[in-house]
Amino acid sequence: MAKIQKIELNLAQKIANPFKTTRKSSTNPFKYNDFEGNTLDLSAFADVFEGSSKPVSKLKMITASVVGTMTKIRSNITEPIVNFVNRVRTGITSAWDYANNTSVSEFLGIDKLSEKIKNINIGKEITDRLALPHINLTEINQTISGKWAGLIEKINHKRISSETPVAELRTMWLDEIELASKKEVA
Amino acid sequence: MNKNIAEIIDALAAHQDTSSIGVLEELGTNSSDNDVREYTSRALVRKNVHDSLKVVIINQGKGINDLSPAVAMSTINEILSLKDKTEVIKILDDTINLHSDESVKENARSVKSLLALS
Repeated sequence: MAKIQKIELNLAQKIANPFKTTRKSSTNPFKYNDFEGNTLDLSAFADVFEGSSKPVSKLKMITASVVGTMTKIRSNITEPIVNFVNRVRTGITSAWDYANNTSVSEFLGIDKLSEKIKNINIGKEITDRLALPHINLTEINQTISGKWAGLIEKINHKRISSETPVAELRTMWLDEIELASKKEVA
Repeated sequence: MNKNIAEIIDALAAHQDTSSIGVLEELGTNSSDNDVREYTSRALVRKNVHDSLKVVIINQGKGINDLSPAVAMSTINEILSLKDKTEVIKILDDTINLHSDESVKENARSVKSLLALS
């Protein structure tokens, strides 16, 4: 009976004002939809309902731009990523197979290198190596003799003075002349 | 020129023994090396004694009479730079008056003229 009375009241109200609704005015248009309480927090869309007078956040603009660009790039990729990765992997595998299955002699430049090795005359190399110490010894000999001559000259140098007897000076002079003539002949 | 020879010449030039002049004349002024001849001639002039000056003034082909102009001029320069010129003037006069070789006389006359001008 109570239910019937309630319906009658409602009908009466509708007849009196057919455009009047029972909904309360609200800023949330989804409030009365059936989301079973899982409504979104509208603070995320606060900008939508705000006036344009508020300055636009640059960070948000950049983020939006990046997201848009990424979407565009993804749509432009014609080859699936999986195919691309497979292709690279195949390339690496083929190089590895080439290295494993190719003999050393087939590598580029190896033949020229082997020719070089063949052309090396080991006997000559050894002779050259043996000849080197001989030359060095001769040079050392010359150096020693030069040093010795220098030492002798120094000893003679001490003897040359006005105190030295004239006969001795004469002999020394003659020796020098003889030495110079020997050098000229050599 | 050999450094040792130069030192021997210096030693002989400074030597008190008159026999040093003979060695300088024998080995120095007769040398085939122009430098040795020049150095010896100057050493003999520096000794500034009668026997040494006589070697470079009166001998043909030695001292002021050397065939090498460099040796001759160097000897003349050394004579001109002597402090005591009495002995050299005496020898030059004797050479001009008594020497038999005309070219030696002529050279002695030229050096005496230079000494008069200096």
